[in-house]
Amino acid sequence: MGKMLKKGVLFFTVLLVLLFLASIWISALAAGMADRVQGRNRPVAGITAEEGDTVDLLVVGDSESYTSVSTMDLWKQYGTASYVCGQGGQRIQEAYYMLKTAFRTQSPKVVMVETNMMFRDPGIFKNAQISLAEPLRYYLPVFRYHNLWKLLLDEPKEMTSDYKGFVIKEKITSCKGAEYMKETGEMQELPEFVRFYMRRIQDLCERNGAQLLMVSVPSPKNYNYKKINALRHYAKQNGIPYVDMNLKAEEIGMDWSKDSYDGGDHLNIHGAQKVTAYLGKYLKENYGLPDRRNDAAYSSWNTLAEKFDTEVKQKTGQ
Amino acid sequence: MGYHTSLYVFVFLPVCLVVYQLMPAKWRWKALLFFSYLFFYLLSGKLLVYLVGATALTHYIGAWMSWQRAQEAEELSGADRETKKSIKLKYRRRCRSALAVGILLLIGVLAYLKYYNFFISNVSGVLLWLSLPFSPGEKSLLMPVGISFYTLQAIGYMADVYWGKAKAENRFGRMALFLGFFPQIMEGPICRYSDTAGSLFAGAPLTAENLSQGYMRIFWGLFKKKVVADRLAVIVGVIFGNYTEYGGAYIAVAAVAYTVQLYMEFSGCMDIVIGSGKLFGVCLPENFRQPFCARSASEFWRRWHITLGTWFKSYIFYPVSVSGIVKRWNQFGRKHAGKYLTRLVTSAAALFPVWLCNGLWHGARWSYIFYGMYYFVLIMLGTAVQPARNKLLSVCHIREDSGYWRVIQIAKTWVIIFVGELFFRADGLQAGFHMFASMFRDFQLSLLWDGSLLGLGLGRADLAAVAVGCVVVAVIGSLKERGEPIFVRLVKTSVPVRWGAYYALILAVIVFAAYGDGYQSVDLIYAGF
Repeated sequence: MGKMLKKGVLFFTVLLVLLFLASIWISALAAGMADRVQGRNRPVAGITAEEGDTVDLLVVGDSESYTSVSTMDLWKQYGTASYVCGQGGQRIQEAYYMLKTAFRTQSPKVVMVETNMMFRDPGIFKNAQISLAEPLRYYLPVFRYHNLWKLLLDEPKEMTSDYKGFVIKEKITSCKGAEYMKETGEMQELPEFVRFYMRRIQDLCERNGAQLLMVSVPSPKNYNYKKINALRHYAKQNGIPYVDMNLKAEEIGMDWSKDSYDGGDHLNIHGAQKVTAYLGKYLKENYGLPDRRNDAAYSSWNTLAEKFDTEVKQKTGQ
Repeated sequence: MGYHTSLYVFVFLPVCLVVYQLMPAKWRWKALLFFSYLFFYLLSGKLLVYLVGATALTHYIGAWMSWQRAQEAEELSGADRETKKSIKLKYRRRCRSALAVGILLLIGVLAYLKYYNFFISNVSGVLLWLSLPFSPGEKSLLMPVGISFYTLQAIGYMADVYWGKAKAENRFGRMALFLGFFPQIMEGPICRYSDTAGSLFAGAPLTAENLSQGYMRIFWGLFKKKVVADRLAVIVGVIFGNYTEYGGAYIAVAAVAYTVQLYMEFSGCMDIVIGSGKLFGVCLPENFRQPFCARSASEFWRRWHITLGTWFKSYIFYPVSVSGIVKRWNQFGRKHAGKYLTRLVTSAAALFPVWLCNGLWHGARWSYIFYGMYYFVLIMLGTAVQPARNKLLSVCHIREDSGYWRVIQIAKTWVIIFVGELFFRADGLQAGFHMFASMFRDFQLSLLWDGSLLGLGLGRADLAAVAVGCVVVAVIGSLKERGEPIFVRLVKTSVPVRWGAYYALILAVIVFAAYGDGYQSVDLIYAGF
């Protein structure tokens, strides 16, 4: 038995070394071709490839995050260097490891969690699987970027423009959004594993000197009063600042006849710019994030902002 | 938690292995039973009650028959010849009744859960056709995982006890483990009690050899499933899901892709299952033996889903072949119909229920019944033309073992297999015929190289992975066919070579498997049967 154990330990040690080496190589490869990486890995490769210690505001969340927080508008209006690490249908485990990845190279002052993902519960098996897979992908990125070899054979695909994680959606699909926040005292249950990972995110931010902020962007399809009550309660219980924009939709100036691109699920560029203006003001008043617009090290951000303006004009005709 | 999931391979199995090893040898089978029932519960929840019920029925009928045999032996001692005859007859009748009750109950539950709605929808169709106002409603019935597999295993056990081929198991827990052993509960193989009982209850300690061979077999299965099958599932889904939009060579591509997908997936799953058994020192029977090397439809079925074929042979084909009515026909036929016709009718009588059951076993659909009948007709045709074929070969001086004849026969068998799988996968019999007919319209083989395949959901890289994966599996299969099984040879090589091969396989699965971003997890096909 002892011999078997020794052999087993040796076998797995060599395997781990091989995987570790493969991970180092593939991570370097991914960072070098971050602009060609697609899908869920794109923000991971993107934030890793970003110049070290340049991002002051980091955003995690599902598709609500990367369609609502317009990084270039934050830059133009307040000089805030922000990056959205959102993924379609992001799970809380993914958000946690996304932040861990970002903290390796970045020292953001504020970490913003878009809260829609906090109600996502894929069930016990899927949860267990994600909870195991995410650390594996984090510590051994060969599991995350294993498909990178396909870029060598496949024809280059047309990539959507990505402005520090924000994606421009110009389409307009109106919806009746006015009635979706009906007052109630009830609260929707937050899944236990979400609470667990939120505590880990809070600890992670504390360890890295970042302030955690919870934000709910306006979305008639995703939010209701029960959810907002639950989020308010959770934030209060754990001492996390919380901004809900659903009850402030009027103040923000949301117009559901033209601010959503898919009938009230996600915001289009018009909605995103309104939300970003509100958010930028809030951040300025409460966090005092530095204005980097005149910093020479950030000249590429100004170039990107010009490109962003051109694309917005092209797409919206304004 | 399918066998191909990381949760099963990297969490469930290791936990199970640790607990198993920590137990004293005499309790290890209990650990396996615990994890088997846990596995079943995680997949089917409260439907576990069906498995417990089937186990209780099988166990007590086996035990009752065994007790009857003991009583019979007691009564026989000291009895005269005439009395012995009547005692034997009495006990045979009792045991036969018990066996019939057991089979009827097990088949009854299976039929109710699996075929009730199919039966009702057909009855409704007939009633509607007759313009009768009565229309029985369909029910929402949940089927426990593996019911088609454990039911056959339970019937096989009871029949073996009845025939005296197996000794009745006197411990309920052991019967529960035999029927519910977690690696085989979802997709088989369908085991005979005498094949697996010994190693299941032995409580053998874990060994380095079993662990390395078991896990390598598991990784080999993952390679087939995740590198090839799951990618082909995309093409198959696109064409079969929109079959009216495709014709000609696209349909042929779909038939071939589905056949390869099914083989890679089912045989890959069997590799994981057999590998899982091997970890605990349990030798499960093989279910595949290079089926694409078969030279005829009947040989194909001796190489594909072997344990199902063996089960039908043992518990349907042989009993029908030696039944009174067939015996009487043989006697009558030899006198009045000639040897050729007698043999043909006898084969048809025994094979018809086999292929009907084979079709039905796969599911409650007319296309499955057609699939069974398709092979029945082909195999009967093969038997019918065999004398003429042998004569023709002799006249043309074609040797059965010549290379080119072998290639022709294999190619013919491939066509039979692909057409069969086309009907098997099609969304209903009508869709199957539509697809088969549209295959002959506008058949352009150029789609294989003009880039048309790239419009079926897979890019160049994925198609390349499928092609390379198929070549690797074909080479290893062909070496095995020639009597040089690479995995057996690998065990005898030096540690650096062996470990090098292991690392290469593990890394190939990690790098080339279709998982993660851009891929959907594909459920096990046979788990749905």
